[in-house]
Amino acid sequence: MTPLSTSGRSSVSKEAAHARGQRWLVVALAAAAVGLWLLAYLRPWWQFYLFAPQYPNGLVLDISLTGLGGDAKEINMLNHYIGMKGLDEAASLERHLAVYGVGLVALLSAALSLVVGRKWNWLLIVPGLLFPLGFVGDSVWWLYHFGHTLDRHAPLNIPMFTPQFLGWGKIGQFETYAMPLQGFWLAIAAVCAMAVAMALRYRLCRTCPLHDSCGATCPTKLVLGTIPYRVK
Amino acid sequence: MNTQKQTRSTRHPWLLAAVVGVALCTALGCQPPPKPGSAPAAGAPSANLGASASIKDLMAARGLNESDVESALKTYMPTGKKDDYLIFASGGQSGQVLVLGVPSMRLLKVIGVFTPEPWQGYGYGGESNKIIEAGKQDGRSITWADVHHPNLSETNGDYDGKFLFVNDKSNGRVAVVDLEDFNTKQIVVNTLVGSDHGGAFVDPNTNYVIETSQYPVPFGRVYAPLSEYKDKYRGLAMFWKFDRKIGRIDVRKSWAIELPPYTQDLADCGKLGSDGWAFVNSFNTEMATGGTLQGKPPIESGASQNDMDYLHIINWKKAEELVNAGKAEDVLGVKVLRMNVAAAEGVLTLVGEPKSPHGADVTPDGTRVIVGGKLDTHTTVYNIAKMRALIDAKKYDGKDAYGIPILNFKDSIDGQCEIGLGPLHTVFDDKGFAYTSVFLESVVAKWSLKDLKVVEKIPVHYNIGHIMAAEGDTVSPDGKWVVAMNKMSIDRFNGVGPLYPQNFQLIDTTGEKMRVIQDAPIGIGEPHYSQMIKADKLHTIKIYPPGTNIYTNSKDPNAVESGKERIEKRADGTHVFMTAIRSHFTPDQFEVEEGEHVFIHITSLEQSEDQTHGFTINMHNIDLSLEPGKHENVDFIATKAGVYPMYCTEFCSALHLEMAGYMLVRPKGAPATIPVSSTAPGGPSTDQPPAAGH
Repeated sequence: MTPLSTSGRSSVSKEAAHARGQRWLVVALAAAAVGLWLLAYLRPWWQFYLFAPQYPNGLVLDISLTGLGGDAKEINMLNHYIGMKGLDEAASLERHLAVYGVGLVALLSAALSLVVGRKWNWLLIVPGLLFPLGFVGDSVWWLYHFGHTLDRHAPLNIPMFTPQFLGWGKIGQFETYAMPLQGFWLAIAAVCAMAVAMALRYRLCRTCPLHDSCGATCPTKLVLGTIPYRVK
Repeated sequence: MNTQKQTRSTRHPWLLAAVVGVALCTALGCQPPPKPGSAPAAGAPSANLGASASIKDLMAARGLNESDVESALKTYMPTGKKDDYLIFASGGQSGQVLVLGVPSMRLLKVIGVFTPEPWQGYGYGGESNKIIEAGKQDGRSITWADVHHPNLSETNGDYDGKFLFVNDKSNGRVAVVDLEDFNTKQIVVNTLVGSDHGGAFVDPNTNYVIETSQYPVPFGRVYAPLSEYKDKYRGLAMFWKFDRKIGRIDVRKSWAIELPPYTQDLADCGKLGSDGWAFVNSFNTEMATGGTLQGKPPIESGASQNDMDYLHIINWKKAEELVNAGKAEDVLGVKVLRMNVAAAEGVLTLVGEPKSPHGADVTPDGTRVIVGGKLDTHTTVYNIAKMRALIDAKKYDGKDAYGIPILNFKDSIDGQCEIGLGPLHTVFDDKGFAYTSVFLESVVAKWSLKDLKVVEKIPVHYNIGHIMAAEGDTVSPDGKWVVAMNKMSIDRFNGVGPLYPQNFQLIDTTGEKMRVIQDAPIGIGEPHYSQMIKADKLHTIKIYPPGTNIYTNSKDPNAVESGKERIEKRADGTHVFMTAIRSHFTPDQFEVEEGEHVFIHITSLEQSEDQTHGFTINMHNIDLSLEPGKHENVDFIATKAGVYPMYCTEFCSALHLEMAGYMLVRPKGAPATIPVSSTAPGGPSTDQPPAAGH
């Protein structure tokens, strides 16, 4: 037992411990991503504020994946004056499919901790990335659609319009402000967690003696430390 | 190279985790945007001192002195700033209750109570008719009241901001106002008495609302000549049992104590150590009945012959026990504890009080009762513990003509305070001072409860009756404010004809000297008492849940939902199930036959703050107020064929004028022109056109 060999061995096990820690981190991040997606499903994604003198506290419209919240009823009430359809008529298909979409994306996140770093694994992240973008695109389309199918027999006739989806806008006496809300940010956070997990996984596999040949059994072995570790 | 870079970037994955965490925190702690235009106003530096020159100019131009400006600063409310306290004041002959803010003294609301109130649609065809109808005496509708004493509900001797009770002196009635929505929910009638004055007063936990009669009559107001006054005429202390859970008086659990035919006046309940006791003063223990035309002295002089009248001391907890033990007698359907039983059991005791007194006010600590002399220049300070000791020891001076024991006056009091001419009512602050209204002198006298000495008097304008202090009759008065409720205003306001406004004067008691700092003309009736509660104790609702019947506090069985509007022809008449929302009624037209019974069930679908609609059908004395979520049922006979517009009476929106429709009453036998949704089997045979085509 020389001091040198001791230090050498401990250096190797330190590296191994570090790698094990990082593998745990991959699992944890993937689990976090799943949790964040589920939370995102429950929380509102976007928020509209409408300000007018007779609404000193403003009106709020919360859009979540499953429906509308806040003062949706009052806003619909006001919209009937300009002949806009009830907002709850919008995106009913999307609202019904949302639960499956989120479920799928969450599953893909979970898969991150199971599937090792093959070349095309990064594609797992794409649906997660597309989901928030799809939400924004779809919402803007619906707003455009509602603003351009105004009933011409309504008491007030105003030119067709698209409500401002981000930042300040104006409709009649209302100043509007729109911004992403918790659900949206949670989804972004989930995507970030997935991305970090993915990067870690790629790096680990690159330094792993087995490379990517251990298939789906890798995580267990990695976690249990049964895969030999050697510095290249 | 590439590997190295990657290693570097992933060496500290916690950094990335932290980034994710920060993103999360941002997301969860999401900030709403600033309101447009709101930023600069708030927190802007106050006007610089250069403004003082213009203030001086303003003062000179308006003839104001510094004291006036100080008063203005203490009472002025810029728009949006809210008052610290609310006054609930009797509306006097208007039969209503007034709500004012302090310190601004702005009138916030007139609550319809005994008298129909059109703005609230109170008593104009809707559900509220039932409340007012319950106030009938002897089968006669009474649509006014002499409202005297509002009393807020209490918990442990403190206002709890839940309910308000008021009495109608003229017709012996008591009403319950729910402070969740500031609506009158119940009127109960006292079928035994001819009038009441010692009410409505509550005990420290609002078990009972006490109502004491004023001018004695035989119970049930049955006939008996005045020559039988002493034998047949009686006073009464009614104990209305209040059921806090349902917010209503439970008439069946209420009871009363028979009193001698002295003219009982004001009452108050003991508190803290004296909880369970009540004190009622009286005048005319001479039992004079007037007879001016027969050459006898009027009551005013006949009633003022004796030097002493009687303060009634009532042990109501004991009375309650006796009533529960079946010792009460059924008198025309009311459980009444007879005088002889009450006297024998120590429930009712008398003690002398300087003649024709006024006011009976228990001190915040519950140890003393203050009685104003009115015709005597003193307030008399009764010591409750001393009186109770005398009662326990059965140490009496004697008994009155009805066998009720009388305590020795001197042994019952702590002393008297020389107040001045015409001391009436007394209220209290948090520093051991009492404030007594002094009617003849038109002053408020501040005096110390410690040494019973007047420390200051301040003129008020004019003829002060009641007086009131911030939470001044609770166990913990707030001090700060006293309000003089003046019967006359003489030269205080612009002339509005020979019937002058009354004058509430706000007195600031925080300084070394009292100061009148604001006048509030009251132009609706002669208020008597009022109470002032800290505004933050009130928790009012802003909207009703959809379809609420505000008198049952529950969803009305006939509540109408959006899309379920309809017109039904039933055996008893035509039922119109209608909704109101900006800016239309659905249905907005219906037709009935002359002579038909019409039922309209109307629900406001609004759920938005302050979005009220009104509803009227012209020429039918129908006027409803439809606050958000409220449901109303109204029914009437369409007696005259014709065309009757109906419309929303509140300027609810830009399209308010368009919120209208028609009721058509077709002549008997004429063909129908507006379809109904359904005709109930057994209903009147109908010649309705088919409902198709829409």
